[in-house]
Amino acid sequence: MSIIECRGLTKVYGKTKALNNLSFTIEENKITGLIGRNGAGKTTLLKIIAGFLRETSGEIEIFSEKPFNNLIVSANLIYINDQMKFPTALTLKEVLHVCASFYEKWDHDLASRLFDYFSLQPTQHYNDLSKGMKSTFNMIVGLSARCALTMFDEPTTGMDAAVRKDFYRALLKDYIAYPRTILLSSHHLDEIEDLLEDILLIKEGKELLHIQIEDLKEWAIGVQGLTTTVKEWTNNREVIHSNGIGLDRMYAVIKNDFSESEKQQGKAAGLAITPVSSSDVCVYLTRKTKGGIDDVFIKD
Amino acid sequence: MSLSRIRLRDIIKKQYAYKLRDYIQVFMSLVFIQMLAILFSFNGVGMMGTSSNTFDINVHFYSADIVVTFTMLWALITSILITTQTYRNDDFAFITNRFSSNLSNMLFLLTASLVGGFTAMLSSNVMRILMYVFGRTEYLYTPTAVSEWLIGSIATILYVLLFSALGYFFGTLVQINKVFVVLLPALFIGILIIGAGTMNGTVLNNVFEFIFMESSLVIFMVKIVILAALLFSSSALMSNRMEVR
Repeated sequence: MSIIECRGLTKVYGKTKALNNLSFTIEENKITGLIGRNGAGKTTLLKIIAGFLRETSGEIEIFSEKPFNNLIVSANLIYINDQMKFPTALTLKEVLHVCASFYEKWDHDLASRLFDYFSLQPTQHYNDLSKGMKSTFNMIVGLSARCALTMFDEPTTGMDAAVRKDFYRALLKDYIAYPRTILLSSHHLDEIEDLLEDILLIKEGKELLHIQIEDLKEWAIGVQGLTTTVKEWTNNREVIHSNGIGLDRMYAVIKNDFSESEKQQGKAAGLAITPVSSSDVCVYLTRKTKGGIDDVFIKD
Repeated sequence: MSLSRIRLRDIIKKQYAYKLRDYIQVFMSLVFIQMLAILFSFNGVGMMGTSSNTFDINVHFYSADIVVTFTMLWALITSILITTQTYRNDDFAFITNRFSSNLSNMLFLLTASLVGGFTAMLSSNVMRILMYVFGRTEYLYTPTAVSEWLIGSIATILYVLLFSALGYFFGTLVQINKVFVVLLPALFIGILIIGAGTMNGTVLNNVFEFIFMESSLVIFMVKIVILAALLFSSSALMSNRMEVR
């Protein structure tokens, strides 16, 4: 059963298209990473899924229902982001009790144990927490709610390295014990790639890639060698990134559709062929302009 | 993972329950504003005096009128406040849709109006005690019949409810479009001015007479309940398509 189905989804703010004809399907019980640059439309997409925003055109179905203003959808998904607001007059412990009263599958035992582990104070108020502590508390709510669709939008904002690691581990452990559909948006793909099964890469509101994380690791290769050799070898290929090294050498990243014999030929011609990490592939693919930051500083 | 099936009624109940605790500040401000109003009431709401060569009489009237007015104002501001984003987004941290959120807000405002109206009526007793203790010269007290007191309570509660419905309506308008922040006060002042030169039949006069000059309790109740229901339901309709968070 597919949990999220979205066809030609478009969302317009004023004159800019935050989402532009986006179509994809997400299957049940998968952890999908939603990756994209700042302003790619990740948050807009998640908010539409959560039923907070209304799509401008296109279709979206969550659990085969339209999410906007839908109580069934709201009861079965939770959307965690760093702008979350909880009732201000209640203490953290009271907020957890309110959550427990709302969410049917809420695991209060887990919530309490996480709460103690991250040494939050029961009598504190949400608004008095630091940024990282807020994220930690949000994460506890998101995990303990055990919603069929759990969405974390930049969940680690402000968390220190130790808490981030703990969070990923907690997420994985709880997912294995209680499988559910998880959408995770993050800037740190290298941190979460061990966690993910699928990856949905979006750029300027459009779907760029939706593949398994294993495939992404082999999606591209890097070649390094004399500029002329590299250019000759990558002729008529889709070069997604290149930069010069010294005077006469260059490095290029190309989509990996070479046969084994072609690679052998390249090696024979003196090229070094290396794998490209998935987070680098994402950076290269989602780049908005040709060239890198170095080109900004070259004046001529 | 199987889907949770939930009923709208349960969600509204849960939202109402947490709001009673979360919006405790609302009742704190009620206590404060009524205390302030009692203080102002010490000046008396009316005065009558006569004197001759040998004696001098001054009669001061005291009543809970100022407390009731202040409570109405409190209801207006409170209901505007809970339509603001900070309060609205609280609901969207949990399970909700716009309808249940609106309905639980209305239930809360109804409760607040009951509390506000009732305490406003009771404040006359507080004033009596204070008058007795701090009274200036001679203190006279006309006892009110239970039926009269009951009518007073019902009317006060309904007035407070009407004002909270009005505040909720205004607040929702502002949430939909910020232009109403300017438009609503402008409209109010405009209504004050329009027809002011003609002495009778100003718009405000008519509205005032319609709401505050009704002599029959039953008709009054019907009027207020219908008005409040209209205001609340149009707020709910307007905000049903609103984007949040």
